Amino acid sequence: MNTPQSSPPPRRSPEQLSGDPAVSDSLDFAGHEFARASLDHCVKCTICETVCPVSAVTPLFSGPKFVGPQAERFRNGESVDHSLDYCSSCGACTLACPQGVQIAELNSQARAVMKADHMPVRDRLISQTTLMGTMMTPVAPLANAVLANKPIRTVVEKVFGVHRDAPMPPAQTQTIQGWLKKRGPRKTPATRGPIVFFHGCAGGYFEVETSKRSIEVLEHLGYEVLVPKQGCCGLAQQSNGLFDQATDAVLKLCDDLRAAGELTIVSSSGSCTGMLKHEAHEIMGVDDERLKDVATRIRDMMEFLLEVADAGELPELSPIEMTVPYHAPCQLKSQGMGMPALDVLRLIPGLTVVESGATCCGIAGTYGLKKEKYEIAQAVGKPLFEMVRDTNPDLALCDTETCRWQIRKGSGVPTEHPVFLIHQALGLS
Amino acid sequence: MNTPRRSSPPLRSSEQRHGDPVASRVIVIGAGVAGLTAALRLARAGLNVTLLTKGVGGLQLSQGTVDVLGYSPTDPATRVANPLAAVAELAVADPKHPYAVIGVDAVRTGLAFLHEELGEQLLVGDPETNQLFPTAVGAIRPTCLAQPSMLAGICMDGARFAIVGLRRLKDFHAELIAGNLARTPLPDGGHVSARHLTIDVPARPREVDSSGLTYARAFDDPEFRARFAAELRPELRPEETVGLPAVLGLKDPTAWSHLADLLDHPVFEIPLPPPSVPGMRLNNALMAAARAAGVRVINGSFVDTPVHSGGRLVSVNVETAGAPRTITGDVFVLATGGFESGALTLDSYGEVTERVLGLPLAGLDAAPLLHGDYWGGEQPLFRVGVAVDPSMRVTSPDGSAVPDNLWAAGGILAGAVRWTEKSGEGIAVGSAVKAADAIVEELA
Repeated sequence: MNTPQSSPPPRRSPEQLSGDPAVSDSLDFAGHEFARASLDHCVKCTICETVCPVSAVTPLFSGPKFVGPQAERFRNGESVDHSLDYCSSCGACTLACPQGVQIAELNSQARAVMKADHMPVRDRLISQTTLMGTMMTPVAPLANAVLANKPIRTVVEKVFGVHRDAPMPPAQTQTIQGWLKKRGPRKTPATRGPIVFFHGCAGGYFEVETSKRSIEVLEHLGYEVLVPKQGCCGLAQQSNGLFDQATDAVLKLCDDLRAAGELTIVSSSGSCTGMLKHEAHEIMGVDDERLKDVATRIRDMMEFLLEVADAGELPELSPIEMTVPYHAPCQLKSQGMGMPALDVLRLIPGLTVVESGATCCGIAGTYGLKKEKYEIAQAVGKPLFEMVRDTNPDLALCDTETCRWQIRKGSGVPTEHPVFLIHQALGLS
Repeated sequence: MNTPRRSSPPLRSSEQRHGDPVASRVIVIGAGVAGLTAALRLARAGLNVTLLTKGVGGLQLSQGTVDVLGYSPTDPATRVANPLAAVAELAVADPKHPYAVIGVDAVRTGLAFLHEELGEQLLVGDPETNQLFPTAVGAIRPTCLAQPSMLAGICMDGARFAIVGLRRLKDFHAELIAGNLARTPLPDGGHVSARHLTIDVPARPREVDSSGLTYARAFDDPEFRARFAAELRPELRPEETVGLPAVLGLKDPTAWSHLADLLDHPVFEIPLPPPSVPGMRLNNALMAAARAAGVRVINGSFVDTPVHSGGRLVSVNVETAGAPRTITGDVFVLATGGFESGALTLDSYGEVTERVLGLPLAGLDAAPLLHGDYWGGEQPLFRVGVAVDPSMRVTSPDGSAVPDNLWAAGGILAGAVRWTEKSGEGIAVGSAVKAADAIVEELA
């Protein structure tokens, strides 16, 4: 119902936009086509204002209603409100809107247009997730030491604008592809046929254990798990407004995943799944049959397990006597599927799962790494960190990688993907 | 929504899924006061409940009180003194009103259930007695259950109010409120006296225009309350009761009473236009209770594509990112609200549509549905809605088929103009509890 029926009049030419006549289709889309399509649905009810985690902690962001549907009416050739850059794109506003206004999408697009002619080098660099992984894995101990080194991080902050205390991914000595090559053949027979696993950059290089356990759980259920060679989804580039590069990356990934066959795709990388399911299409206007095909077939790991459980096909789970905090990341909630991890974890006897109630952990992809936004991201996460510590100082659960790094760093509590406890309850660990 | 429509493909594996189907599942559509109450009541009875909602429900936009009946629907100039007694009379006088099928007993049961779930920290009062509370324009409004932070504002002869505005909060005009309250005669002929004053305590540094919610978050902090009280206390006169915007804490239910202690004056809150902090308190509490009771909440997309089989509703779709998902259920509760939420729509040809399931509607026989006089009498359109039997099961007003496993509650019900009668929450909780109890019996 919010699909644009007719294109609004062009607001500025591509030349005006960046001085480059070859400006991208996706930026053109962001600036001209889509942004205004849903804003007339806004009834000014302020529900989005009440869920915004950023405006709750800083007056620097004047809130999703003002910056989104209201300011958008005045954006005719240039941005009217630079507080737009303080939106973390967590998507809580869109999720909460009862009228279907695409507030967060509108803000992401307006920001990409605003930044087009002065994209910071920092934002180009921190969105290179695959590059980080390939550089850090071979030298993992060194990389971890460098990232823990205060003087080096201070220099990095001064030169590049990445905050010295921002959480960084833990480099591993083995990638998921390395593990797959080295491990022997599976021990149980594949009774259910093939399925594709999408691990994402973080699940390939940093959160390798999550990918391993996901694959083992899927195999335990009887699936033959295919893990095609795969690149980055481009989410970090998208959230930094680098729409061209992100579009190339996401379509390349679609080719990678489709190469494995017309199969269900499962991923334990919650935010990358969101990029494939809807963000590439809704924010950047990528309208490609390959993306549609993948978006239709992909399932979040816990969403998939809930479907299996609802069909009465999840094997018996052994008890785990524990109370554990669970945080559903903003980019998972924005997929509009509820909180499947919560529903699956509740099937484990003896386990008490306490939902965090927090909108966002603050990191929002690369937002919380940035020097000027670090303090905001920490303030957003503070109630969550406290809740996690108070609930269980030894383990917290969260579906996405950067959020786990943020929660680990902010709370000091080991934080893992919910599949860890399913893996355990199935007797696999 | 913006994704081209595709059906969800079957999961491809060499083996079809098999095994025991999940236990009976009730699907509640809508997360306003009716949907949340129904879902919670059903979950408390041990049923497997899934709540589908597009965004945050309307309870958050409310004043944070529970209205049962404020003005007589048959004589809108008459203020109701005893809501439950008036509901019983209305049920006889207007057989088309939702209260006629809900009945006063279900309303009483619903209010007791809500009261028990929310507790005395969030809801106090007596459903047999309406009290008069000041509004943000200084009018007086009848309601029967209110938040404890509002009670000192009950308008009684001889009350002495100091209405305190905050310079950086633009939705609360102390002078307007005090002026209107002081000039309004009470039903018994008495008067309140009211004066106004404005103070300036920033909710946070470097912000000149703060929302009520920003102030509420500040008032959650005892240190802010102390600073605020230190500024205000010298301005107060003996025997005054202090009226403040309803921003006295979002999470800390003792914030208002702590402030009253610091001021050494009784304090009350006056609800503001949205963001309504008292509405958020109720909404947050009910949603948290529903989640804790095991309700599976799927938020974020409109519900559509009902599938019927053998006279029953089998499934609906939610527009989950990527591709729609089919949600199957044994029983469905429609609690989507009315025109204000978009559950009912009127097109330019005068066609009224129930958006989610395309149900036949009652109340369309009134002609014309809309008259052109904006300031004139009631618009018959607003009584259009879904018809139900006394168990809240959806019925057909025109003989066309409706599913027989479908119940309805709240604003979608035909026959009431809730905002002029002040009957919204009473209809919602009465119908929600009655529907839930009927479903529990049906599935037993």
